[in-house]
Amino acid sequence: MPDLPTLTAEQVEAAIEPVSNVSDLGRGGQKLVFRGDIAGTPYALKFAIAPDELDATASDDEDSEEGTDLDVIVRASREVETMRDCASPHMVKLGPIDLTVCTIDDQRLLYFTEEFIDGRDLRTILGTDGPLPADDVITLGIQLADAIKGLWDLQKVHRDIKPANIMRRQDSGSFVLLDAGFAFDVVGESLSGGMLVGTPIYFSPEQFDYSSRRTGMDFRSDIFALGVTMYEVLTGRHPFWRRGHSSQTAFNNILTKTPDPPSSIVDGVSVGLNEVILRMLGKSPHLRYRKCAQLVKALEASRGSK
Amino acid sequence: MTLYIQHGHAKSTRITDAFDDDSARGVVLAARNEKVANLDSCVAMLHDKYKCDILFDPQFYVSTLIPANDRYLPEEYPYYELGRTAKDFIGRRKVDAYTKQTLDFQADRLFDRLLSPTVIVNSLTDRWSQIALQLADSSIEHHATLSDPSPLLISVVISESALDSRSELDAFLDTLTGWDVQGYYLVVVRDDPTYSQRFDEGRLARLLYLVHVLGDRNGYEVVCGYSDFVGIPLRAAGATAFATGWYQSLRQFHEKAFLKQKPGGQRARLRYSSRPLINSVMLSELESIHRAGYLDQILSNVELDSMIRRATSPERSEWTTQISERHHWQTLSAMNEELEGSPKASTAAVIESVRQAIGLYTVLRGSGVPFERSTDGEHLREWLRALTAFQREAGWA
Repeated sequence: MPDLPTLTAEQVEAAIEPVSNVSDLGRGGQKLVFRGDIAGTPYALKFAIAPDELDATASDDEDSEEGTDLDVIVRASREVETMRDCASPHMVKLGPIDLTVCTIDDQRLLYFTEEFIDGRDLRTILGTDGPLPADDVITLGIQLADAIKGLWDLQKVHRDIKPANIMRRQDSGSFVLLDAGFAFDVVGESLSGGMLVGTPIYFSPEQFDYSSRRTGMDFRSDIFALGVTMYEVLTGRHPFWRRGHSSQTAFNNILTKTPDPPSSIVDGVSVGLNEVILRMLGKSPHLRYRKCAQLVKALEASRGSK
Repeated sequence: MTLYIQHGHAKSTRITDAFDDDSARGVVLAARNEKVANLDSCVAMLHDKYKCDILFDPQFYVSTLIPANDRYLPEEYPYYELGRTAKDFIGRRKVDAYTKQTLDFQADRLFDRLLSPTVIVNSLTDRWSQIALQLADSSIEHHATLSDPSPLLISVVISESALDSRSELDAFLDTLTGWDVQGYYLVVVRDDPTYSQRFDEGRLARLLYLVHVLGDRNGYEVVCGYSDFVGIPLRAAGATAFATGWYQSLRQFHEKAFLKQKPGGQRARLRYSSRPLINSVMLSELESIHRAGYLDQILSNVELDSMIRRATSPERSEWTTQISERHHWQTLSAMNEELEGSPKASTAAVIESVRQAIGLYTVLRGSGVPFERSTDGEHLREWLRALTAFQREAGWA
């Protein structure tokens, strides 16, 4: 894991001219995150330590190992590019400052801005408020399916969909997918040197199989992770993992276990929603949905079902 | 009604007979057996006279068979070339040229679906399977460039042995279900060249799964070519349509039918297709059934049964080859129409029909009715095991 920069809000405000009212938001993924206003609008500013030999042409042509300096810039470039190009309103957007290099207090840093989302992530909501009502989970599925489609239109797979990477807006209650730093470009050379990236307990079965990731991974891996997330926020339980389980147990469960239907854990889950979530958790991509539009249609139908 | 007629040599009035009888809803025309001018006039006539689906199997796959019995293909069809080997598919430009020629030929005509070129695949992991996937991928790309084309069906022609490995099938399905196309034209190349309803139970279970995943789970249109009786469980599992023809070689796909052979061969014997037995039996066997007093129990209850009913016995009826063919389609059409509701319900109904057929065969054998090896109903136990395995796989049992 790369080191994080040592920065204060005051240093950021002093170093980056158009930014004011800077406050520290803590750590986000492999970056340090601040909130700051630019021309009166709040944005998130994300900082990472820049590699010593910074190659301005570094791109998705990645051949590095997880956690190296170069990996930081590749991931940041990918994240910025994804936010800039993805058309879905449910994928977080790039702010007015694109990927930039600066020096603050003798630290060479990479930073960029992104849309500031006033709200809480689903992991926090789950921890403080408990599971979401079924209707909200259906909305989550529909909106995140739109984000997955937006990424797939760019031939990208997010690879790290999980409650901590989904924000719920305070004002509208809508959901937004964050952190495209692991986004996998199926047409480019963007594998990770044989390392598994993402969060293993949200991996699809095919995501564990490095040899098949070139041919076997597409947006349906994200549908699996969204299914795990929906199951978890609906029931309060992860479908394949419990506290105390080893990663090997979680791995085996993901590959072989059919989870209990959500309706057997919480009341008020329709047969339709049960079926949709269990189908999203199909062990092979061909058992899930072949189009995000199919998933959305099934989720909409489940809203009215008993 | 989703029975299609599989076209081949000597079409005569056979296709129009099937439509006049209201047995079929469509036709899969074959390139090999028709000159282009005749093909065009046939299509024009069918469009004028009938409301039916017209598909065209370009039979590109014949080009890799040696020595091919390819009749009109070399001289009449611009995309065809005899004796292609794997080397002829190295390089995307070549593959793209094949797909362009094959799809453009169809796009210029009034076909309701365009069928992609493909090659016969014996293993889902071998070189030929990669070539088949490249042809499919290239077809999708070229189809997208055509102006207002008919929807595209990707052709998949696989040996039944390709269904031996479930893990290979899963990976293959992951690829197929990643494509945004109208559907698939699926043909299974049978190992045994004799006409029989027998099917290795594991292979049949996986074929049902393949069709179910494509047709029901993923919502593709799935047309199963050369399917005959097995088209009924395939329809139950999720196929949109299945095709069968007049000759035995048009009811089941054998490579032998596309290879040059010595002239001759036996004249086909008269048969009767029984809905209750889920099989086609010899007319002589029908006679024995009649003598044993069980004729009513095994008649299909379709229009052309009247010819048997009004005769003093089956062998004394005016049953002919052409009547037998039409009756075969009426029977399959009637069986197909019985399939209502979800794949789960239809599969359960087919299982029940198979159980009843097994019981009926037991009664007939007990009454001394002799059957030949190809008509003895042994396929029913294989089908039953395959269907129940498929039910479990689909999570219905």
